[in-house]
Amino acid sequence: MSLFAVRESAAMALRSIKGNAGRSFLTTLGVLIGAGALVALTALGNGASLAVEESLRSLGSNLLIAYSGQPRGTALVRRNTSNISPTISAADLEAIRALPGVVMAAPESSANVQAKFESRNASVSAVGTDHQYPLIRNAATASGEFFTEADVETRRMVAALGSKAAADLFGPDVDPLGQRVRLNGQPFTVVAVMRSKGNDTTDNQVYVPISAFLRVISGGTKYQAVNVQAESMEALRELQSSIESELLRLHGLPSMDAADFYIANQLDVLGAAQGTAGAFTLLLGGIAAISLVVGGIGIMNIMLVSVTERTREIGVRMALGAKPGDVLLQFLTEAVILSASGGALGVAAGVGAAWAFGRFGGMAAAVSPGSVALALGFSLVTGLFFGGYPAFRASRLDPIEALRYE
Amino acid sequence: MAASTVIELREVKRHYVMGPTVVRAVDGVSLDIAAGEFVSIIGPSGSGKSSLMNIIGCLDTPTEGSYVINGEPVQGLSRGRLAEIRNREIGFVFQSFNLLPRLSALENVELPLVYAGLPARERRERAAAMLAKVGLEGREAHLPAELSGGQRQRVAIARALAGRPSVLLADEPTGALDQKTGVEIMAMFAELNAEGSTIVIVTHDLAIARQAARAVRVLDGRVVSDGPGKEVA
Repeated sequence: MSLFAVRESAAMALRSIKGNAGRSFLTTLGVLIGAGALVALTALGNGASLAVEESLRSLGSNLLIAYSGQPRGTALVRRNTSNISPTISAADLEAIRALPGVVMAAPESSANVQAKFESRNASVSAVGTDHQYPLIRNAATASGEFFTEADVETRRMVAALGSKAAADLFGPDVDPLGQRVRLNGQPFTVVAVMRSKGNDTTDNQVYVPISAFLRVISGGTKYQAVNVQAESMEALRELQSSIESELLRLHGLPSMDAADFYIANQLDVLGAAQGTAGAFTLLLGGIAAISLVVGGIGIMNIMLVSVTERTREIGVRMALGAKPGDVLLQFLTEAVILSASGGALGVAAGVGAAWAFGRFGGMAAAVSPGSVALALGFSLVTGLFFGGYPAFRASRLDPIEALRYE
Repeated sequence: MAASTVIELREVKRHYVMGPTVVRAVDGVSLDIAAGEFVSIIGPSGSGKSSLMNIIGCLDTPTEGSYVINGEPVQGLSRGRLAEIRNREIGFVFQSFNLLPRLSALENVELPLVYAGLPARERRERAAAMLAKVGLEGREAHLPAELSGGQRQRVAIARALAGRPSVLLADEPTGALDQKTGVEIMAMFAELNAEGSTIVIVTHDLAIARQAARAVRVLDGRVVSDGPGKEVA
């Protein structure tokens, strides 16, 4: 099979496709839709996966959290921590801070409280922590300054308000900074308003020094959780096991089966989330691939019709010296051009659709180069596979019979 | 002179098995055709002349006997090899012209050269020269539907000649033409023969067969007479 033969059959195929433009377009439509769906749907799956990843990363970088109590669910950050009975002590926190590979660690305890400013009330989650919390959890202030280490040591009655809590208590017209709010009746001075994290639960939190929290809100001396930042994502699992053995030792417990704490790390949660999103993408891609195959069957169908219609042409070509291979190549090329152009148009349509999903549908869509390559490759293979049988039939025609065909 | 023998059939048989019966379409034909001859093969329908023509044209191979075209034996050749021999040795002219309707006159004439693997420019030049030779200069871009019957058959003859074959094999070449045009086409064959082309015409029409220098009469799959065209009856 020479390059020459390929070029000649491509020229013949293009002529035949042009001669039947309407039918050719309808034939490619199946592959077009299949390839488009493959690109657009995997873009949606991908987008969902990236969105999950993004939201997990926004929780903090290289984060692991040691929780008091028994494991509950697979989430890294538990939505409701107010019902956890605290088991982690200040000594435990100091021991964790001293471990190699720990960049920072911040305590965390929370309680659902009534917040009050003048006559306005709001249900908020009061979170006791220290000055390192915003660094670990990627939280930034929109105005004011987060409380300091000195504030924590001196148990100052200050608060940093989540954006929703601030809006609920103060409305748009009052600057919360320097105002006094009451949490469960205790007066706190607002020192900062946090930037929104796009999550109502987080934005409805009010951060206060852990020392003040323990003294006036929860009582007790232990923490519900400790947020830990590791040096790197790769070090997370190793750090998790060293924290586990350190806490087991301090708590005098034999193994994690008996532990009164557990640790969730970002890497594992990320992995689980990506696994779910990956399965979702695979499912969507699979459905799209099926439609691509259906498109291929459409091509086979029309190629079979075309071979029958052109039986006499095939006979003439054979009489003039076309070898079975030449005829095979001519029809195969035609099928591949149909399916590949359908694939290319489909990819363009899919990219367009993915863009439109993101632009007008508010969905996260990320076209992956892999899905584009897959769609193009798949449509090419579809053409070869489904064009193969009709082309083979054409090449097996007996020239005498074919010439006699009316 | 053996070298000048283009077609050499020896005891050629072509039998078809149709259920319990065997149809002896060609039943022992021996025939030599030399280069430069103008031969008609005549016989009524069912005489086996079409089967014989298919064998001569390398569209089919004999069940028994030997066929050598231009020094090359064709028994047991693959479909691909047969196609190559058709391309090189045979120029077909059909009763119903068999031009490809979507191709222009020039492109139709180019077809055998495409399969011979000639580069595009050489193909075009040679095809244009062939069209000029059959008197169709200026009609290169016309589609077959835009040409008259006689013109279409002339395109077909140009196509048959384009590959410079050893034999021009015409199957009832005037069968689809009116009388006057038929005469023109036969005159063209005579002219081509005078220039040296070997021509074999298969026909059931005595008037056509007589215009050939030599007429071979076929009946029931056998040659029953072989002599000067004028004497055939």
